[in-house]
Amino acid sequence: MSLKKTVGLKTILTALLISFMSMLLLGVIMNAAYTHTSLGYDLLKINTISTQSANAVTSVVTYFRGLDTLGEVTILFLSIFGIGIGIERSDRMKTILGYDSTLLKIGTKVLFPLIVLFGLYIIAHGHLSPGGGFQGGVIIASGFLLMFLAYGDSYDLDHKVLSLFEALSGAGFILVGILAALAGGAFLGNMLPLGVLGKLFSSGILPIIYIFVGLKVAAEITVLVEYFIRTQDARDA
Amino acid sequence: MIGVLIVIIFTALTVIAFWVVSSRDLSSSVIYFMAFGLGSTVLYVLFSAPDVALTEAVIGAGISGVVFLVSLLQTQTKEDT
Repeated sequence: MSLKKTVGLKTILTALLISFMSMLLLGVIMNAAYTHTSLGYDLLKINTISTQSANAVTSVVTYFRGLDTLGEVTILFLSIFGIGIGIERSDRMKTILGYDSTLLKIGTKVLFPLIVLFGLYIIAHGHLSPGGGFQGGVIIASGFLLMFLAYGDSYDLDHKVLSLFEALSGAGFILVGILAALAGGAFLGNMLPLGVLGKLFSSGILPIIYIFVGLKVAAEITVLVEYFIRTQDARDA
Repeated sequence: MIGVLIVIIFTALTVIAFWVVSSRDLSSSVIYFMAFGLGSTVLYVLFSAPDVALTEAVIGAGISGVVFLVSLLQTQTKEDT
């Protein structure tokens, strides 16, 4: 059955049925979720008191569940490490999926700083607006992906700088946690003044942790993209 | 109004999901997968979850599509039938 060419009546009816049932299920879940006795309600209530962060998701990720984020970053590091071991490196590496075009090169030159700036903005404003370290880091990496696509083999990344960024931000994350523990709180507890809700320099160590996470994720995903896009072409072998 | 939009996007997403699974050409399957990520981004915004929407837009419609495409280029583009 070829669904690619024509959409039959049966397909549309099935799709309507499935989407209707999933919306029904979603309605049940969403109505049940937000009541005065639920966990989400309590969390939103204590969020402004304990962190002064405008984004409740950020306070969960970096403060209430900071240890989980440390584990998550470690998992990401280990998977990139595994890819680095698994993919064979040699001198005959070349960029696949590249496209040689003057228009793309000039456009990339204009767009690349803007993309990196946008990623840094998303990282730094993680406690005020949607987004944060993970999202901003991947946005920065997508800027590097654009550079790989446009410039191909002539674009070289300094792997020492990338490793330095990755290692220092990982160490900084743990160091902030240990400093917080030494200052009298718990590991990854809040030791800095909370400030005023909505200001850039507010909510204690949350932005510091998210900046470390963002730099680490940016370096790791950039290395991942480079490993994937610049490999030995299997079709030539 | 938003309810109508949600119904339209839900239906379109289900059709696209059928295409992702059933298309013979795997590279077009990857493109459908990226379109699915884009559609679910809009859906997450309508459900007032902008955090998840941002993650889905960057990872689901961006990086993972590139990883799949490169893996396809390294192997073969047609599925054996």
